[in-house]
Amino acid sequence: MQEDYINITLADDDEDDRLFFTDAFDEIKITTRVSTFNDGVYLMDYLNSEDALLPNVLFLDLNMPRKSGLECLKEIKQNPKFKDIAITIYSTSASEEDIENTFVQGANIYIKKPSDFKTLKKVLSEVVTINWQYHTNSMNKENFLLRF
Amino acid sequence: MIRALSNNISFLRTTLYISTFVILVVGALTYRSIVDATNSSEMITHTYKVNVELEQLLSNLNDAETGQRGYIITKDSVFIGPYIERRSKINNSFAELKVLTEDNPILKEDLIEINRLINERLLAFQTSYQSLPKGDIKDPNFISNFRNGKVLMDSIKHKIRGAIQVQNNLLEQRQSKYKSDLIATPLLLFSLLLCSLILMYVAYNSIYDNIKKLKSKNEELEIFKESTNQSEIVSKHGTWTFNARKNVYTYSDNLYRLLGEQPQSFEPTIENFLKYVHPDDVEQLSKQVDQMRENIELPYIYYRVIHKNGNIKHLKAYGRSIVNDDDEIILLGTTADITDEIMSFRALEERNMELERNNKELSSFNYVASHDLQEPLRKIQTFLSRLEDEEAEKLSPKGLKYISRIQNAASRMRLLIDDLLQFSRSNKADKVFEDANINLLLEAAKQDLAEVISAENAIITSDNFPSINVIPFQIQQLFVNLLGNAIKYKAEERTPKIEITHQIVEAEKEESIKKPKKSFYHKIVFTDNGIGFDNEYADQIFVLFSRLHNKDQYSGTGIGLSICKKIVENHRGYITATGQLGVGATFTIYLPIE
Repeated sequence: MQEDYINITLADDDEDDRLFFTDAFDEIKITTRVSTFNDGVYLMDYLNSEDALLPNVLFLDLNMPRKSGLECLKEIKQNPKFKDIAITIYSTSASEEDIENTFVQGANIYIKKPSDFKTLKKVLSEVVTINWQYHTNSMNKENFLLRF
Repeated sequence: MIRALSNNISFLRTTLYISTFVILVVGALTYRSIVDATNSSEMITHTYKVNVELEQLLSNLNDAETGQRGYIITKDSVFIGPYIERRSKINNSFAELKVLTEDNPILKEDLIEINRLINERLLAFQTSYQSLPKGDIKDPNFISNFRNGKVLMDSIKHKIRGAIQVQNNLLEQRQSKYKSDLIATPLLLFSLLLCSLILMYVAYNSIYDNIKKLKSKNEELEIFKESTNQSEIVSKHGTWTFNARKNVYTYSDNLYRLLGEQPQSFEPTIENFLKYVHPDDVEQLSKQVDQMRENIELPYIYYRVIHKNGNIKHLKAYGRSIVNDDDEIILLGTTADITDEIMSFRALEERNMELERNNKELSSFNYVASHDLQEPLRKIQTFLSRLEDEEAEKLSPKGLKYISRIQNAASRMRLLIDDLLQFSRSNKADKVFEDANINLLLEAAKQDLAEVISAENAIITSDNFPSINVIPFQIQQLFVNLLGNAIKYKAEERTPKIEITHQIVEAEKEESIKKPKKSFYHKIVFTDNGIGFDNEYADQIFVLFSRLHNKDQYSGTGIGLSICKKIVENHRGYITATGQLGVGATFTIYLPIE
């Protein structure tokens, strides 16, 4: 089923970050449908529901109450139903430990939240236009963290 | 000493054997000599007796003859009385002589001959006496008988005298033998006794020597025992022995003190000992003691005892077996009071736990610094960027200036947070050392700084490095910081040049290496042609947050070189800096060669 827009989902407990995220996609000239969830529990409830519209690219904040991004990542990777979702880690920190853990658990790319709106738009448009097939095949620990 | 003693003991035993032998020989010889002398004297007496009897025989014969003659002359029967008396005496003498000459065959034969002659004589006497006509002594028959009697008498006398002569010769012989016996015996006795005396003297000397040696050794042992007692008191340990065969214990004085008791105040048995053991430890200790009895060895065991005053002490015991002279297996045990050790160990453990807690707090603080502080800062910066981009035209120039100032402050804060984060990361305990290609690490560091290097046209030259056992990402960080530093503090009028050299040096010859842990070090030197610094501040520049320049002149947090120092210290190395204002700075790193 070929769709004419890219379905994008973000799970982040921070209201400001969700605002930056949606604003950025509003300004990016790519047809997208963006939905956001306030934490991991809401996200997983939605994904597991019968009539869920599965995203093409899922952005996961790591530090969330109730269910963290890492826990969501594990659950998603265990369920074959979600095997086509490209997962982007979207976090304030980029500690070695976090990068290592999410890489091992099978995330596709890691973004450290930029502190500049222009950069944010640039990074997000880069991520959603990635050829995931190609990226996943050639993925290694060095290019896992997106540098900008 | 023991060997010397046992040698001496065998010497003494030999001496005893020899002395006993000599004394036995002396005794035997003496006995024989005395027996000989007694025999000789008996023989002499015997010979005398024989002689006397012979003489008496002779004199009796003479008397008998005299009696006969008297009768012949006087015809008085008075003379016939002594004659008869003598005859019976002669018979007595013969009987006596017969007994005396029992052992002498020659004399016996002589006696038989004499006896025969006497009998013949007496017969002749009888005949002449009977043939004598009354008062006529001129009768030829009588005369021939009388003469015949005289011849017989003479031959008897001759015979007896001969026998006496033989006896006298015998006597002489026996007397000289007796004499020689009497002289030889004392000589022999004396010389043998002299031998015994010499042997006794030698033995006495040897015993005396041994006793002297034993005494001095005993004194040494006493001293040793006393010093052992003292050392037991000072080092808080006691000793004990266990004889497995006899099931007997001995306890040293201080072992009693370890139990809070007076020395030797109760019988050393395991039952009595167990009365002091902490109830929780009794079962285990009993089991270990049973094993000890079986295996005759005691591995380290730990238990507690309770003094009568309620104090609890921690003890540690160990035992090893030896075999004594009687082939009995003896367990030598040592029990030490380790209460102080345990107490200080516990205190240390507590301190460690406290440190661990502090460390955890620190790392959670680091997390706050890295994550939670960054988040609001990032938002401030993002909102500022949106303000600048989207609302710029609505702001006055003053407002724009303020925004730009806020941006600067926020950037600086980000720099500080990043550096602090890096500093705390260089603290981390999970550092893994590996043999790393230092050339590659330097290349990676240059890559990290590629932007500034090309912007400043910096020239970096370096020696070829051997591989060194390091924490790779930290060394890369070190290179980044040093290179970054050199470029940041470049001199305005010069193109920055950085020279990196490597050599292997001996620790003793390098002044900067204090208390070296290894003999050889890698010496890596970064020399730049930047603005340099006054050597007065050479040590200060490594202190956290210390800066030599105003923030307006050079951006910097004062953390970079502290990180360098920490990294080098993590590698048990040394870092020093020297500078000359306006000429340049030199940073020297020493890394130990494992």
